[in-house]
Amino acid sequence: MKPATEPDSPARSKVQMILRVNGESHDVAFVPHKTLLEVLREDMRLTGTKHGCELGECGTCTILVDGVPRLSCLMLGLESDGHDIRTIEGMAGACGAHPLQTAFAELGAAQCGYCTPGFLLAAEAVLARDPTPSRATLVEELGGNLCRCTGYLKIYEAIELAAARMQKGTPDA
Amino acid sequence: MKAFKFLRARTCGEAAQLLAKNADARVHAGGTDLLGRMKERLDTSDVLVSLCDAAGLDQIRVETDGSIWIGARVTLAELAASEACRTFLPTLAEAAGLAASPQLRQRATIAGNLAQQTRCHYFRLATFPCWKRGDDACPVKEAGGVQDTAGIFDGACVSAHPSSVAPVLGSLDAEITVRDAKGPRPVPFDAFWAAPKPGIATDTILGAGDVIEAIRIPPRAAKQYMGYAEVRQKAAFDWALVSCAVRYEIVEGAMHDVRVWFGSVAPAPWRARLAEAALQGGACTDEAAAKAADAALAEARPVAGAAYKEHLARVALRRALADAREGAK
Ligand SMILES: Cc1cc2nc3c(=O)[nH]c(=O)nc-3n(C[C@H](O)[C@H](O)[C@H](O)COP(=O)(O)OP(=O)(O)OC[C@H]3O[C@@H](n4cnc5c(N)ncnc54)[C@H](O)[C@@H]3O)c2cc1C
Ligand code: FES
Ligand code: FES
Repeated sequence: MKPATEPDSPARSKVQMILRVNGESHDVAFVPHKTLLEVLREDMRLTGTKHGCELGECGTCTILVDGVPRLSCLMLGLESDGHDIRTIEGMAGACGAHPLQTAFAELGAAQCGYCTPGFLLAAEAVLARDPTPSRATLVEELGGNLCRCTGYLKIYEAIELAAARMQKGTPDA
Repeated sequence: MKAFKFLRARTCGEAAQLLAKNADARVHAGGTDLLGRMKERLDTSDVLVSLCDAAGLDQIRVETDGSIWIGARVTLAELAASEACRTFLPTLAEAAGLAASPQLRQRATIAGNLAQQTRCHYFRLATFPCWKRGDDACPVKEAGGVQDTAGIFDGACVSAHPSSVAPVLGSLDAEITVRDAKGPRPVPFDAFWAAPKPGIATDTILGAGDVIEAIRIPPRAAKQYMGYAEVRQKAAFDWALVSCAVRYEIVEGAMHDVRVWFGSVAPAPWRARLAEAALQGGACTDEAAAKAADAALAEARPVAGAAYKEHLARVALRRALADAREGAK
């Protein structure tokens, strides 16, 4: 049985840290055992990163750490020290939605939307490395993100559409 | 999650010192297994000694004697991508690249992969009783239906060690360098595993003060034939139901120095010595594979829900031997 309250422990005192999230530095205080997912959502109010299985099985908590997709549910807030964190809140630029976001909306690649932030960031990381990924690459690279609504095809098609538009330099036309 | 103090070790030696000073401490590497268990209160340690900053442990080196040194903190993604690994240890690169998901492979370390605990569904949920957690009952033995996390060998605990990478390391005769406050010691792969005991969650000989420093793959004079196969339900992001790794040399057309290791069939990676003996000195054919599988499975004692794994083990062994024979690697 789970205890209703945590036993007393010196580990409960908060640590103060500078977190670099979406290009800005934030001064945040949190207890050492908080996951980065909890720090983002609870201490920084960045609730775009979704909270799913919390065990590494669904990928909805995916964020980018130095450009690489990682699971924020299995990473401690403390471990983000010195790294560049990117969440879905940082995806849209000054001129509006990212081409991936536009394409997801247009093609119905988001239904309930719970998996969408994770897919968008994982897809952004794929396109950063390979601007014209094959379908096989997308299937492989997005294998850690589960979607219970779309059946995945719409997601792959939206990423391919965004990739084509980004190649042509016409983000959302 | 359970509250804990988080200590960062700068070196493996410092990690061993910190473990010696903190009796109830756990080693933390990628956290992909440990944090899941701490969230479920299956592990209630007060202190984590983290290797996340430990210097040198993220390297793969080909030594002058031809042995390959893999630091404890090397991730599955790094193994899959490493030129040295793809060239000299292709089955290791393959198994690492097939495991888990891209995000998990970025974090999951090779040492953590060996020391991870069983994925038995009942063990992982504190609401169920579990023999391995000290209860009298084992729900798997009574449960109907298909058991995907159960093994077919070693009856004391029916759970299986879930690593698909470990059988490959077994087939390569990996040696594990374990360090404590007194210094490092080499542990042969066969000797790294502990038999299941009631109330003991771990499956290895690692003691409270022990930290894995590296995995060493010995050099070989002759050309090596290596093969790997795993059987699973989904193409992407799935655990192997059974995995099999083989390695041998060919002397005058016959197999020598044969190794056959299975994953996900026993509480520890399973060396099928009877299969090795059956293959030794013969040609690598599908018929030989079938005979070797008969020999290996003579020892199987599965619970009803895992009996199907006997067939999967046959298939995995045949495919692993074919993979080695084709020399695609
Ligand atoms: C959803 C999911 C799917 C997975 N699929 C697969 C799969 O298909 N195949 C597969 O093989 N694995 C799979 N895994 C397991 C995964 O590979 C392991 O969880 C991972 O390798 C553990 O490494 P880590 O660095 O995250 O370890 P941690 O979680 O940090 O530690 C795991 C355990 O090892 C101990 N430990 C870690 N490093 C050391 C060290 N240097 N010395 C001593 N003890 C140490 C810790 O104390 C802890 O008990 C999967 C995991 C998840 C969550
Ligand atoms: S919430 Fe992190 S993988 Fe599911
Ligand atoms: S849109 Fe609902 S889970 Fe993907």
